[in-house]
Amino acid sequence: MMSEKSSATGSDRFKYLQMLVTEFQDTDSDEAKEQVLANLANFAYDPKNLEDLRTLQVIELFLDMLTEENENFVEFGIGGLCNLSMDRECRDQILQSEAIPLVTGCLSSRREETVLSAITTLMNLTTPASSAQTTDAAVLQCMLRFSISQSPRLHNLATVFLQECCTEERVAQAEAQMLGHHPTALGIPLPKD
Amino acid sequence: MAAPLNSWSTPEVYKHHEQQKICPSRPKYREGRRPKAVKVYTINLESRYLMVQGVPAIGVMTELIQLSALYGVVEEYRVMDEYPAEEFTEVYLIKFQKLTSARAAKRHMDEKSFFGSLLHVCYAPEYETVEDTRLKLQDRRRYVHRVALNKAKERDQAEEESKKPMSSDTAAASARTSCSVDQRSSDTSSKAITCSTSHGHYLGFPLLPLPPQEVPPYKHAPSYDQPSNYQANQCRAIPTEDKMGSLPNAIDTKLQQAPKVSSTASSSGADRGVAERRNPPHAVAPRFIPRTTHLENKKRKMVEVSKESLFGIVDKNEILIGPKLPEQPKMDMADESLNTTANMIRSTLKKVASVPEVKTTEKTKPPKPRRRI
Repeated sequence: MMSEKSSATGSDRFKYLQMLVTEFQDTDSDEAKEQVLANLANFAYDPKNLEDLRTLQVIELFLDMLTEENENFVEFGIGGLCNLSMDRECRDQILQSEAIPLVTGCLSSRREETVLSAITTLMNLTTPASSAQTTDAAVLQCMLRFSISQSPRLHNLATVFLQECCTEERVAQAEAQMLGHHPTALGIPLPKD
Repeated sequence: MAAPLNSWSTPEVYKHHEQQKICPSRPKYREGRRPKAVKVYTINLESRYLMVQGVPAIGVMTELIQLSALYGVVEEYRVMDEYPAEEFTEVYLIKFQKLTSARAAKRHMDEKSFFGSLLHVCYAPEYETVEDTRLKLQDRRRYVHRVALNKAKERDQAEEESKKPMSSDTAAASARTSCSVDQRSSDTSSKAITCSTSHGHYLGFPLLPLPPQEVPPYKHAPSYDQPSNYQANQCRAIPTEDKMGSLPNAIDTKLQQAPKVSSTASSSGADRGVAERRNPPHAVAPRFIPRTTHLENKKRKMVEVSKESLFGIVDKNEILIGPKLPEQPKMDMADESLNTTANMIRSTLKKVASVPEVKTTEKTKPPKPRRRI
């Protein structure tokens, strides 16, 4: 009885999500795209939807947004990825899509929300196999800068990243490099216009 | 490298504190139940710290915290005097023990009126410590993982079920039957209780929520059968209104107190005497008390019962528990045609009495005795 009902509502949900994806692809209006994107990213928050979203290839859709000029697109896209990447299956799928450079690119956004989502996404994407990429020197230096940021949220999150995703040696290394000759531009906000 | 750290005393007003404009341009199928802004929630934005703006500055902190505590344990709270607030309002910071509580509180309190002012509730993750942030992320990952596992399990089960649907059905059925059996047994047990306490007048009503246990029922248990018989006889013999439902409890009580005093076998006359003596106002005009709906009856009985318990007549509580409703009132007018008339009036009144509220007012007044034709 219960399983019947839940499966029925489940398929309704799938149809709805499908409609959203279709609208996103068909519409020419940026406003509508933003709305749909935000909808999808919020749906990605509920783990019950993740299977449907994977089926609908929303991961690719979000990743696509990371290179858009419209900052809202980027923010919502990385927000969606942040939500999705909590799930291990989604994480693996994201990693297969060569997403890490796109995500680290978001660390240089001027929007704090975008940067925060990017940090959390990177944390989620860090596996033994991917850690070389997610915690390379440039990322670590960027996190070090964030960790002394005035913004408490940025400070907290970057600190957690440094504590959880990499060894102390690597952090020390990155620090040394930062004082030396290998500065990186990662995480330095892009100039306005 | 990094911007110089100044220690501002005033807390910053972050962008996520602001209430964003709602989005008016959604097509119908994407309209939610509530109008909302275009915004993406991530775990970064959520927090067990909530900021509540727009609290009227009239000393309602206790009320605010009480309201918040409806949604979960509040660990800490404080007024944010230094936060820029609208005139005559205050801003509060509330720290819940759990993120889920904060989420529920935000959903229920945001945009709600509170002492005449609209609250604006937002997450305040900037008040988290590093540890808070770490735990928040950990919890979230764990939760998502758990859901994924459950879903996988469900899927496996569904597959199994589709392979052998019968077995699961029967399992469900057996579960159901066992459940119903349980219910039945509990029903019967409760029925047994009611029967023993209300002389078998169990009419399928739940026990009244009154204090029935003050006097244990075994006190009267020995003399149960006989008094109730007497009572029945008497009710048939003497047309008192209790069978019509007006004051059954009072009469029952008295009738059953009597046998305790006198010996049960010879008490019928005494009972009658007692009943008549104690109910002179009702004996005057028994026939014309309005017949009532079941609802009224119950209501009145509850009033009676509470009255009696106030009077200290508590030792007959068992009777009060199982409300006796007027089955078919068997009133004898000592005349065939009078009986027929009474029955007709009764049935008419039953139809009319579909509006119970109006009737109650009539009943409170003592019924006016009518002339006998």
